[in-house]
Amino acid sequence: MGFLAPFMLVGVIGLAVPIAIHLIGRRRAKIVKFAALDFLLATKRRTARRLRLRERLLLLVRALACAVVALALAKPYTSCERKGPQVTRGPQAAVLVVDDSFASGYLVDGKAWIKRAGDEARRILTQLGPEAEVAIVRASEGADHPTELTRDHLRLRDQLLALEPSSRPADTTRALARAAQLLAASSHARKTVYLMSLLANTGFRPDDPPWGKEGPAIVVLDLRPPKTPNLAVTALRVDAEPSAGSRGVAFDAEVGNFSDAPAKVELSLAIADRVVARGNLELRPGERKTKRFLAALPAGVRSTDAQVSLAGDALSLDDRRWVRASLRDQVRVLLVDGDPKTVRRDDEVFYVEAALRPGDRDDSGTSVRVIQAEELSALDPAKSKTALDLNEFDVVVLANVAALPVDRVAALAAWVRAGGGILVAPGDRVDPAAYDRTMLPLLPQSLSDPIDTTWGASPEDRDSRALHLVKWEADHPIFAPFSKDGTELAAAKFFKISLLGPTTATQDRKVLARFTNGAAALVEASIGAGRTLLFTSTLDRDWNDLPIQTGFLPLMQQAMRHLARKHAVGTDSDHVVGSSVVLPTGDLKRIEVRGPDGLGAVFEGDRIAGRSLVRFGKTDRPGIYKVIGTDQTNNTHERDELDFVVNLDPHGSDLTPAPATALPASGSSAGTETSDNTRRVELWHALAAAVLLLLLAEGVLVQR
Amino acid sequence: MIKIDPIQLARLGSLPIKARVIVEGALSGMHRASVHGSSVEFAEHKEYSPGDELRHVDWKAYAKVDRYYVKQFEQESQLVVYLVLDASASMSFAGGGLRKLEYGGYLLAALAHLVINQQDKVGLVACGDRKLETVVPPRARTNHLHDLLGVLDALIAKGGGGDESIAAALQRIAEMTRRRRALIVIASDLFDAEDQTLEAIAQLRAQRHDVSVLHVLDPHERTFPYDGLTQFESLETSHKLLVNPVAIKKDYLERMEAFLARCSTQLAAAGVDYHLAMTDQPLETTLLELLVARSRLGPGRRAS
Repeated sequence: MGFLAPFMLVGVIGLAVPIAIHLIGRRRAKIVKFAALDFLLATKRRTARRLRLRERLLLLVRALACAVVALALAKPYTSCERKGPQVTRGPQAAVLVVDDSFASGYLVDGKAWIKRAGDEARRILTQLGPEAEVAIVRASEGADHPTELTRDHLRLRDQLLALEPSSRPADTTRALARAAQLLAASSHARKTVYLMSLLANTGFRPDDPPWGKEGPAIVVLDLRPPKTPNLAVTALRVDAEPSAGSRGVAFDAEVGNFSDAPAKVELSLAIADRVVARGNLELRPGERKTKRFLAALPAGVRSTDAQVSLAGDALSLDDRRWVRASLRDQVRVLLVDGDPKTVRRDDEVFYVEAALRPGDRDDSGTSVRVIQAEELSALDPAKSKTALDLNEFDVVVLANVAALPVDRVAALAAWVRAGGGILVAPGDRVDPAAYDRTMLPLLPQSLSDPIDTTWGASPEDRDSRALHLVKWEADHPIFAPFSKDGTELAAAKFFKISLLGPTTATQDRKVLARFTNGAAALVEASIGAGRTLLFTSTLDRDWNDLPIQTGFLPLMQQAMRHLARKHAVGTDSDHVVGSSVVLPTGDLKRIEVRGPDGLGAVFEGDRIAGRSLVRFGKTDRPGIYKVIGTDQTNNTHERDELDFVVNLDPHGSDLTPAPATALPASGSSAGTETSDNTRRVELWHALAAAVLLLLLAEGVLVQR
Repeated sequence: MIKIDPIQLARLGSLPIKARVIVEGALSGMHRASVHGSSVEFAEHKEYSPGDELRHVDWKAYAKVDRYYVKQFEQESQLVVYLVLDASASMSFAGGGLRKLEYGGYLLAALAHLVINQQDKVGLVACGDRKLETVVPPRARTNHLHDLLGVLDALIAKGGGGDESIAAALQRIAEMTRRRRALIVIASDLFDAEDQTLEAIAQLRAQRHDVSVLHVLDPHERTFPYDGLTQFESLETSHKLLVNPVAIKKDYLERMEAFLARCSTQLAAAGVDYHLAMTDQPLETTLLELLVARSRLGPGRRAS
């Protein structure tokens, strides 16, 4: 401790004044000869102790008051370590960058970290003084940034008080870049960025620094808790799970342990707000693991919302994830039987129909209608009273159908271009030359004559000369259920196949599978908005034994779904907070979207008229977004099929601290700052207050 | 009634003159003196019966009604009055006016004057100093008044001394008047460390003496008007007390009022005629209050 005016300490001698007055006062007391002294003595005996104490207290208080006045005049001070950054008061430009990513909701001592950051920011704002031009930049991804600095500190203070965690990950680098832009426009010599952040590594882009050498000074406030362990549900997928029944679905929840200690996690799955399953996971430090839940969707619904959550930790926002689970839509398949037989198993489409409707159950996900090739004449309403509407089908399968007339092919091609899917499989009734004449608009490649690999072979050699599927696009949706070397397909023997001729006018032609001789087995191409698949062997057992192999059923199911464009049941990766969601308008004239907090948007009038799609961008909160549609007949109802979920961007859950090198260095615009890390604390204010208190105490004692 | 300031009265000449002034001042305020000139008064007639003294036969009545009647009297002896003056050191206190000793002495002198004028016996007992106790036996002669007032004057001039309680003096009076009831008038501040004074007074009353107490107090003792650091010194002992009077005033006054209430209550309960005599109060007023109070007591309470 030191004194700014030490000579004033002489005044401490004043301590002797009240003592002297006290002693002199005793000697100069008036003397009164009094008769009733006994009464006084009795009174004195009772009050003597109190009076003596009071007298001594008075003496002490007065002496202290004299001494403290002298001490205060000497202006004592002490030095202490700086707590927090050194903030210089006066004219300057400053930007307070505050992390409001969802990680800022991290609880530290029961209080959200962002509140602590807000308190610190307000303290800095106060220390900067009213002459400082300041702006507040939020460091979450996609946050709105101010356009200029301001001296309206009251408004800034209100902004700081209103700070809440957003639902987006941190983008500290972008916020710092914006802060540098704001400061660059200022004419002040001193330009400083105060960064209040959890300093998560994921918020920085080391390869894209916010400023170069001309940047401002940066003061990084150390507000990060010593440790920030965090558990998060980082992904959630849902798929059909036939083993769990016709309504069975499997949820794959990925959980990340973003800490340096192992963790045990309790997970729960809720479908339609009802917890239906629980599970546990043990995670090593930094590990991510997937937990699979099997469940059945409630009866009577084809789609619903599901949520996987874990027991709360310090950061609760990323402890849950939503997904929209839907049962497969029915794929409507029109099987055109080109070689019908009275014996069912000899029929050309017997095996396909059986594969598409196993057990002929309604919940197989496929509805099948079988017609004969001649019935395709009904495509022309002029020739048939019962016109066949292809729009009632998603997929048409031409199984060993002889070449169709041009008009029917044209009708089919128009339907495919509009989005339909067609599978063509040859057979003994297919004449490649006739196909070349009329069927090319439906084929990815023209057909050549078939080859019979067993021609002339003895029955014993027949199997050995058969072809097999050896190469297929394992990543293609059709082959998704199969392993690369799966025997489900490889075991099938092909005795006769059609060879292919030149390619047609289709786009995106691609051979999806080949035989052991290199010939194409399955060729795909796009026709307008639709697709065509050409299988070079039969769909019955005439040319191969594929229909009796275990791979036939999933192959047909997947092929139909691929052609009908109905694949995944649902995925959480569709939308993260902040992304835009495209909604088909269909026949709706009004669409209302309601978010988790009840807010959303309404598309009507010019915003929807004449549009097939609308874009919804207010995905600010994670959760379920409901869609309510009004059709042309003013009938308003919930459009469950359009409902969607929005989840947090999981990379914001990793709070691993950024290395020092990730932080930008202070630029040359930094003002000159003292490196002294101590600050002087003047004590005379406290002493003056003490004098006032002593005088008050003296007054009270005198009155008693 | 002419009221004379006690301080002015003190400046008058000798004590006999002061006593006379006080008496005349007091009597001028009365329409009729409640104290009669004789100590033997006719009460009623009673028809003679054998054994009655012949000298009390009312011969004039016999001449009128031809029957013997005997006169009966209320009191057949002279009134004996003992004046007791507390001359202890505490009576020397004067807050600004008369000393309590002076005030009490003047009152007793006036009473002596009255009693002698009524041809009754009056005596004086002064206490305070154990070694120098003053006793003037009761006499009824006029010369006796001069002697008594002379003693009283000397006591006042000498001032209070000693710390003897008047309780001892009262006990001696009780012994002296064992065979005859008397009127005992006490002038004292009743400050008694052992608290025996009130008991002694009550004991006198129990012996059927007629007792009047003039409780002499200085106004400063009732109001305690001191401030600033003050050293109080006892008049009777060597006790000293350095104190801020303001700090203890409330407590002191409560104690003083409790003391006065105790004196008044205990003496009244014992049948003692009690008068609080403040030294700033005119002496004749105090005397008159005493005389009026005594007249209200009636003949039965007058000393025999």
